[in-house]
Amino acid sequence: MNKITGRFWRALSLTSWVMASLSFVSMAGAAEEALPSLSYDQTGERLLKVQANQLFESTDGGAAWTMIPLPDEVAEGRLVTVSEPATAEQALYIAGPSIGVQRSTDHGETWQELNDGLPNQDVTALDVHRHQPETLYVVIADDGLYQSEDAGTTWKKMDSGPAQPVRRLIHSDMEGSMQTGWLYAVSDDAVRLSMDCFCGWRPTGELDAGRVYDLAYKLDDPEHVYVATEQGLWRSDNGGQEWQQVKGDGPTFVTLTLAPQGTLYALDREGELMRSEDQGQTWTPPDA
Amino acid sequence: MRKRWILVTTWLLMSAAGQAMAGGGPSSRDTSRLEEGERIYQQYCASCHGSEGEGQPNWERQNAQGELPAPPHGPEGHTWKHSDAMLYRIIAEGWRDPWNKTERLTMPAFENVLTPAEIRSVVNYLKTLWTPEQRRHQAEESEGAPFPWQSE
Repeated sequence: MNKITGRFWRALSLTSWVMASLSFVSMAGAAEEALPSLSYDQTGERLLKVQANQLFESTDGGAAWTMIPLPDEVAEGRLVTVSEPATAEQALYIAGPSIGVQRSTDHGETWQELNDGLPNQDVTALDVHRHQPETLYVVIADDGLYQSEDAGTTWKKMDSGPAQPVRRLIHSDMEGSMQTGWLYAVSDDAVRLSMDCFCGWRPTGELDAGRVYDLAYKLDDPEHVYVATEQGLWRSDNGGQEWQQVKGDGPTFVTLTLAPQGTLYALDREGELMRSEDQGQTWTPPDA
Repeated sequence: MRKRWILVTTWLLMSAAGQAMAGGGPSSRDTSRLEEGERIYQQYCASCHGSEGEGQPNWERQNAQGELPAPPHGPEGHTWKHSDAMLYRIIAEGWRDPWNKTERLTMPAFENVLTPAEIRSVVNYLKTLWTPEQRRHQAEESEGAPFPWQSE
């Protein structure tokens, strides 16, 4: 009897181990999936798109895209994001695992590595401070969040970050912070938020929407936030304390951004751009 | 008594590096101000933040009233992430988390209760609760944001 029981438990534990391994592989795969990303450059009045390890810009609302040259190192890594200061600076920052952080000030003709002081180049997210063009934030996988106050010349570890892998980091000048603003961290399971003094990550309101992809906020009303999820677009009017689903006609978007005029731009998984002028209710392609 | 000895020793060690570079030793004035800081802390702060700075239970989540409880001040908290200027301001002016469901200052304002020097003493006492690395981090954050000049 004992022998049978022992075999049963061995079989059960082996099954559990296999299931756990498969689950881990699946989660890791999800976290490393290369999804397109989108941002709006206020200074240049252009859309910037990262897709398939390439960087594109559009100055006509997404009707036509032009490729921006990238450094050779990008071919060895996985480009995940582009960010730019919201001022007259001409800097363009890119980041990704095995790439680290790089900056170009000449429209991609030359790039400068900004990885001194970072523990490694496995950057999963990057953003520039909303009002301080030389303040950058990056997330290093399995390490934490680093800040630079001199445009990437030096870095300082500020926080271990949320426990979950972070796919997007967005700085906001929403009121109420002890310091200068807030940082949204988008992970597969949720959106979390911290003041930019890094005094604790708080979950945003209940968002039972499957996988979370990206977040954007209205530049002139930062409490007005959108989030793209597996189950569609959600919106908050109080910085993420509560979410309401937007009953729109758009497909599932994996990244989104807001232009200063309030136009919402989003990409689906294949990188197809759509735009909405009515807060996500109706969507049209850029050339419509 | 043992606690007081630890407090003074920690402060002496904290001061030693800086003082050594300046060619002097930690002064009795420093240690008495630190003792003053602890006395003020125990009188005004400990009832919420704990006599050892341990904070309230579940301090990272809103309580039944929809308020964030008082956080700890030790290594497990986030006090060490704030500059001297910020800590001074929070003690002087008070604070409520913007996501709290109530409007009251959960951290009361002490500017009409404590003198500027007393507020500085409390902040300096809190520094004895941190790790050396946390003290270094906070000192760097304070370089550009020291105690307000008028707080003599």
